Amino acid sequence: MSVILARFGRKSKQKKNDESYYTAGQLALIKGRFKKKKSGVIAAWVLGTLVFMGFFAPFFSPIDPTIRGADADYRRGAPQVLHFWDENGFSARPFSYTYTKEKSKIDIKTLMSGGLDALDAFISSGALSSSSQNKFNVDKNERRDIQFFVQGWEYSLLDLSVGELDLDIRWDRHLFGVDQGQIHLMGTDEDGKDIFSRTLHAIWVTLSIAIVALVVKLFTSLLVGGISGYFGGRIDTVLMSITEAVRVIPAIPIYLACAVALAQFDLTPIQRYFAIAVIIGALDFATLARRLRTHILTERNQDYILAAQLCGSSTWRIIWRHLIPSFSSYIIVDTLINFPYVILAETSLSFLGLGLTEPVNSLGVLLQKAQDPDIQQNMVWQFFPLLVFVFMIMAFVFVGDALRDAADPYSEKK
Amino acid sequence: MFIQFLADTWLLWILLSIGGLLWWSGRASQYFNYVFRRYLLALMTLLLVSGIVFSLMEVMPGDCAEKYIAYKNTQGEIITQADIQAERVRMGLDKSLPERWGRWITNLTLRGDLGFSCAKRQTVNLALGNRFWVSFMFCIAGLIFSYLIAVPFGIFSAFTINKPWVEKNPQYSKMEKLFSTVLLSLQKILDLLLRIISYLGLALPNFLLALTIILLYVFAGEPMPTGLFSDQWRNVPWFGNNGFEVEKLYDFLSHIWLPIFVIGWSATALQLQTVRALVVDESNKLYVDAARARGVEGVSLWVGYPVRHSISPLFNSIGFDFQRIFNDLPIVAIVIGLTDSAALLIEALAMTSDQELAAAILFLVALVVISMNFITDVVLAAVDPRVRKSVLGNG
Repeated sequence: MSVILARFGRKSKQKKNDESYYTAGQLALIKGRFKKKKSGVIAAWVLGTLVFMGFFAPFFSPIDPTIRGADADYRRGAPQVLHFWDENGFSARPFSYTYTKEKSKIDIKTLMSGGLDALDAFISSGALSSSSQNKFNVDKNERRDIQFFVQGWEYSLLDLSVGELDLDIRWDRHLFGVDQGQIHLMGTDEDGKDIFSRTLHAIWVTLSIAIVALVVKLFTSLLVGGISGYFGGRIDTVLMSITEAVRVIPAIPIYLACAVALAQFDLTPIQRYFAIAVIIGALDFATLARRLRTHILTERNQDYILAAQLCGSSTWRIIWRHLIPSFSSYIIVDTLINFPYVILAETSLSFLGLGLTEPVNSLGVLLQKAQDPDIQQNMVWQFFPLLVFVFMIMAFVFVGDALRDAADPYSEKK
Repeated sequence: MFIQFLADTWLLWILLSIGGLLWWSGRASQYFNYVFRRYLLALMTLLLVSGIVFSLMEVMPGDCAEKYIAYKNTQGEIITQADIQAERVRMGLDKSLPERWGRWITNLTLRGDLGFSCAKRQTVNLALGNRFWVSFMFCIAGLIFSYLIAVPFGIFSAFTINKPWVEKNPQYSKMEKLFSTVLLSLQKILDLLLRIISYLGLALPNFLLALTIILLYVFAGEPMPTGLFSDQWRNVPWFGNNGFEVEKLYDFLSHIWLPIFVIGWSATALQLQTVRALVVDESNKLYVDAARARGVEGVSLWVGYPVRHSISPLFNSIGFDFQRIFNDLPIVAIVIGLTDSAALLIEALAMTSDQELAAAILFLVALVVISMNFITDVVLAAVDPRVRKSVLGNG
C-alpha cells in the first residue's frame, strides 16, 4: 500500500502508465490525493496533535483538573509564564518564577471595634473588588525549573477493562511539572483549578460526545436510508416523507426540548452525557439518510447485486456486505465533515445550561464560563479554552474541505 | 350567518381554491400538473411536521392545566386535585394525543388558529403578534449577508483549488514564469485567508461573538446595541408630526446590524463550502473542457459555464439555509436581548414549558421552509431546463 501511495503521491505525470494507480482501492486514492492538499495536511497535523493530547490528557496536564487538584493558594491566578532567559542568563531548561497571591489581611478586631469608619476604609481600600483579588506577586529571585516526566497524581492511562478482564494501565508520570508547588501555564479559575489541564481534559470529553453522536447518526441513517432505498415502493415513500418532515424542523430547538425532557429524570452526569449524544445523533439522520437512499436506489439495479441475489444471499447480507462498502468512503468523509457541527450543537446546549454542566470538563462548559463579565474583564486567561476550541473547529473544517476534494473521483485533472 | 361561517373557515377556502386552480390548470399542461402534485406534497409534509412537533411537545414536563392552577394558587386560592382535573377537562387536556392534535390541526386549517398559550394566557396568534415577522426578516437579512460573502468567496476558492503554487508551463519564458508564480501564490494565499475568515464565523460560537461585540461597546463607553431600538426611540411612532422619522430608522439600523452580522457570519462557512463544492463539481465536467477548447477563457469561461450551472442547486437550498439560520437565532436573541419569536421559543421551551406556543413557532418555521422549497422547486422547473426534464419526464 505504501508503495502505491509513494508512487502517485510523488509524480502525477507517470501515473497513467502506473498499474498500481488503477488497482488501488478508493481509500488509497483518497489518501493519495489528500496528501497533495497543503492546507489540509497542516490542519490534519494540528487536529491530530490536539486529539492526541486530549486522549492522553492526564499525561500532558501537570495538575489534576478536578477539585482535588485545585490550588487553594492560587485562586483566580494569572498564567505563569515560562522563560528561557532573563537577566541572569540563558537556561536550556525552561523555568518560571515563583508566583504568590497576596492574601488580603482582614483584621476583624479593628473592624469590629472601629465601627463604620473602619468598615468604610476597608471597603474603599479595594480589598474586596475583583481586580484586587487578581493581584499577584512575582518573585524573580526564586526560579522554578520545569522538570520532565515528573511524578504526580496517579491516573488511568488506558482503560481496557472489559467485563471480567481487568486491564487498566495506570501511571503517575506527567510530561512536565515543577518540584515544589504547581505550575499553572494558563492560570487558574475561581476555585484554583488549572485552566490548561481542564482544557486538555475537555477536548476528549467533547470529542467523545461527537463520536457517540456521529456513530448513532450513522446507524440511524443507514437504517432509514438502507431500508428505504433497498425496498423502495411504499416503504420508501413513507420513510422519505417522514425524513423530509424531520429535515425542515430546526434542530437546536428540538435538542432543547429533549434536553428539557431529560431534566425530569434523575440522571448521573455520565448518563446525561450519553443521552445528549444519542439525542443529537438520532435526530440528525435526515440529510445522510436521503443521500444513502439515492445511492442505494441507483446501486441496487447493478449486476453485482443481481449476482448476489442469485447466489442466495439474504437481504441484510446484500445491504451490509455489498451495498454499504460501495460507498463507505463517502460515509467516512461525510462523518468527518459533520464533526464541527455536532461539537457546536453540544456547545449551544451547554450555553443554555441544558447540556453538560460544571464540574464536568467539556469545551461547552468552559466556553459557557467565558460569558461571565467578571471573567471577560479580570481573567482573560480563561479564554484559553476558546482558543483551543477555535483551533479545533478550524482544523476540522480544513481537513473536511481537503477530504471532500480528495474524495471526489473527478477532481484530478487528466 | 354565512359571513360568520366564511370568517371561521377562510384559510380552508384559500387552500382549496389554490389547489382547485392548480388542478384545473394541470389538466391541460404537464407543468401545472407537476405544480399541483408538488402542492399536495407540501401540504402532506406540513401535516407530518405538525404531528411530529405536536407529539414532541408531549415529552415536556407538566401541562397547561397544572400551570394555570399553579398560577391561581399564587393568587391565594386553595387548589385541590379535583380542580386540576376539572381544568384539564375544560381545556380538553384529558383527551388522547391524536384527538387533541386533530382539533389543533382542524382549527389551524380552518382559520389559521395556532392554539392557546398557557404561560401567556392568550391565544398564540396574539402572543406572537408580529414577532415572527421580525425573526423572519432577521433570518432573511442574515441569509442575504451570508450569500453576499459566500458566493464570491466560494467561486474564487473553487477557481484556485486545483491551481499549483508554482508555474511550470514550459512554453513560458523565465520572467513570465516568475510573474505567473507570484500571481498564483498570491491567489492561493488570498483564498486561504478568505476561507479562514469565513470559517472563523463557524468556529467562534455566536453567543460569544455577540457578547464580545457588546463588551467592546461597554469598554468604549458607548450605549450597547442590544434590542431593536434605544430607549429614546422605542415608543416613537414611525410616522410622527414631521413625516417619516428618519432618525428612528438610523437608530433601528444601528441596532439590527449586530444580530444579522453574527448569524450571517456563522452561516457563511457552510454556504461557502457548498458553493465551492458545487462550482468545483461543475468545473470538472466535459462541457467546460469543450468551452475551453473553443477558446473561451478566464472570467467569461467561469461565469458562463460552471458558475451559471451551479446557481440552480444553490437556489434550491434556500429553504434549508433559512432553517439553519433560524437554528442559531434563539441563542443570539437571548444574548442580544431581542424579543422576537426565537427568544420566545427558548422561553417557551426552557423556562415556561409552554407546549402549544413552542409547537406553533416550530410549525411556522417549518411552514416557511416548506413554502420556500415549494417556490424554489416550482420556479426552477419553469426556468431550468435540466430540472424540468428530470421532474416532467420528457419535458
